Amino acid sequence: MAILQSGHGGGGRLSSELVGALAERFTSRNLPSPEMEDCALLSANQGITLDGFTVTPRFFPGGSLGKLAVCGSINDLAVRGMRPEHILLGVIAEEGLEREELLEHMGQAAAVCAAEGVTLLGGDTKVVPRGALDGLFLTTCAVGSLALSRVPGMARMQPGDVLFLTGPPGRHGACIAACRYDLEIPGLESDCASLWGLLEPLFALPGFRCARDATRGGVGTVLCEWAEGRHLGLLLEEEALPEDSRVASLGDLLGLEPLYLACEGTAVVAVAPEDAEECLKKLRAHPLGKDAARIGYVTEEHPGTVGLRTSLGGVRVLDMPVGDPLPRIC
Amino acid sequence: MTSLSRAQACLGAIRERQASLKEPVLLMEVCGTHTMAIARHALKQLLPRELSLVSGPGCPVCVTHQRDLEQALALARQKGVLLATYGDMLRVPGYASSLQEEKARGASVRVVTSAMEALELARNNGAQKTVFLGIGFETTAPATAAALLRAREEKISNFFVHSLHKRVPPVLRFLASQKDIPLRGFLLPGHVATILGEAPFAFLGEEYSLASVIAGFEREEILLGIAALLGQILRKEFRVQNVYPQSVRSGGNPEARKLMDEVFRPARALWRGLGELDDSGLVLGEAYEAFDASFLVPPLSEELEEEHVQARNLCRCGDILLGRLAPRECPLFGSSCTPVHPLGPCMVSGEGSCAAAWRYEKTFKGAN
Repeated sequence: MAILQSGHGGGGRLSSELVGALAERFTSRNLPSPEMEDCALLSANQGITLDGFTVTPRFFPGGSLGKLAVCGSINDLAVRGMRPEHILLGVIAEEGLEREELLEHMGQAAAVCAAEGVTLLGGDTKVVPRGALDGLFLTTCAVGSLALSRVPGMARMQPGDVLFLTGPPGRHGACIAACRYDLEIPGLESDCASLWGLLEPLFALPGFRCARDATRGGVGTVLCEWAEGRHLGLLLEEEALPEDSRVASLGDLLGLEPLYLACEGTAVVAVAPEDAEECLKKLRAHPLGKDAARIGYVTEEHPGTVGLRTSLGGVRVLDMPVGDPLPRIC
Repeated sequence: MTSLSRAQACLGAIRERQASLKEPVLLMEVCGTHTMAIARHALKQLLPRELSLVSGPGCPVCVTHQRDLEQALALARQKGVLLATYGDMLRVPGYASSLQEEKARGASVRVVTSAMEALELARNNGAQKTVFLGIGFETTAPATAAALLRAREEKISNFFVHSLHKRVPPVLRFLASQKDIPLRGFLLPGHVATILGEAPFAFLGEEYSLASVIAGFEREEILLGIAALLGQILRKEFRVQNVYPQSVRSGGNPEARKLMDEVFRPARALWRGLGELDDSGLVLGEAYEAFDASFLVPPLSEELEEEHVQARNLCRCGDILLGRLAPRECPLFGSSCTPVHPLGPCMVSGEGSCAAAWRYEKTFKGAN
């Protein structure tokens, strides 16, 4: 009998296959299929998102589970042009967790809410027997209001659009992998942050099409979802990709590709060519976007596929990863 | 010169030399890291049409025999055993499951990035027998040896190794002696050569008139290696050439070899698709027998032995590892065997030739 494996939660092909099978239970009853976007529309100008958070270790350079939970929800709203306003927070804790630790996570969650003007509307707290889960899980549901005249989404993407990356890819995933495999890489930090302040200025651009925060599965997965979802081609220039040398060295050590490692404060953005210059200017004006770069474009060629042009002139395909990124042997 | 201009210069030399050769040339790389780098930099697209590069048995996961994998799965299911493995092995499908599935069903399977980490697990889990699955060539074998040495010094009695380590030179000899493969040369594995040095590869030129070059892993280093191989073929001078001197000393790493010699002894080993090859494996020597996990491995069921004899699926791994068949020529490639539902290990590992070809074939030049 088929069973779930951790790779089914990795954000790649296995995840999307599973999500498709789950949604099919609904669509087969003639219920509408949910949009495969970061947040759903509650009404024409309101967005809602639900997310579950678990990470080992729960405190890591650059953030914590508490901070991650709130930033993650805010980012899911922000990429669809929704100003985050309210949040519900669920706590599922394992018997034996230190009370102080839980309070510390709440403190970090509250700090992000305060900075972003998000109010906690309510929550739920459960404590489960030891062994029923690993330490602490947080779930969030956040609601926001549309901050521009139309809802951005991949449906708006057109051939010719320009693609941006707001910072070097893979910092969260690399930081967590370094913790997990006990590798000391000085200065390597998660990019865990709220993207609202970085993205809001872009909403004034008439040519702003869509954005996605590149969480599980990383930038590569988001781009594949866009290419496959719209049956358009995306072409990236390898040399243009921003790089964090610490992520690169971790990638070399463990055989992990930064483009497939999770980000928690880095987004991919698509903008009409006429607004491209202005977009880059606005991104770079924000501290989170200082390394933002124009990384490629959308094309009618090779529909459904993401290509990456190397500096030598070859093109390789950037395929969606299968499951969890696993370190390789040599 | 920048890395890019060095790469361009090497490409120029390759095109020129291939043109002077006026005949098709088949070269083989035998290192998973080379396979990955070649795919990652899309190098095959840039090579002349007459020059083919095939991937040989260089991916440690891919060469692991189905029978050995079944034994590893059986080990993982044993009560009181914690199986420590490199991550690449997790998704390789066995007859009924994979290590990842066993893990999801509750077996104690832990991913480690080194043998020492496995030893650490043993230290911290006195109640369980920690078995390290020793996979890899002469690159990872010294690390396994070092962990065993330490385990003996510290008298850690719950640490065991199931050694599936393999040696590269014997399989190269096997490949070189296959008369039906029109192979002209080997891009030799830089990491393995770091340990072995140049001498163990000398027979390729001396006995088989094959070109051989030890190359590094950056794109310009790989291209330099290919250019050097073509140079040897043009000049008809076949001797090991080291174009990776910054890492590979001609004598290799004697300390690492001493470690291996102390702990292991060469033995016949099973290779997926290639069968049993003399002296091609490394098993624990007499002094380390107490750490050998063999006694923990339950015998395979008759049903599995039968499956093993009949080679259950049509996966053509063996022919692919020998360069007889291109991955896309396998009847399963891309239809029933894909990275999401792999049937053979070459499709599982990121270093596997089928996984690399899957990504490569979907290029804009290809049949997409």
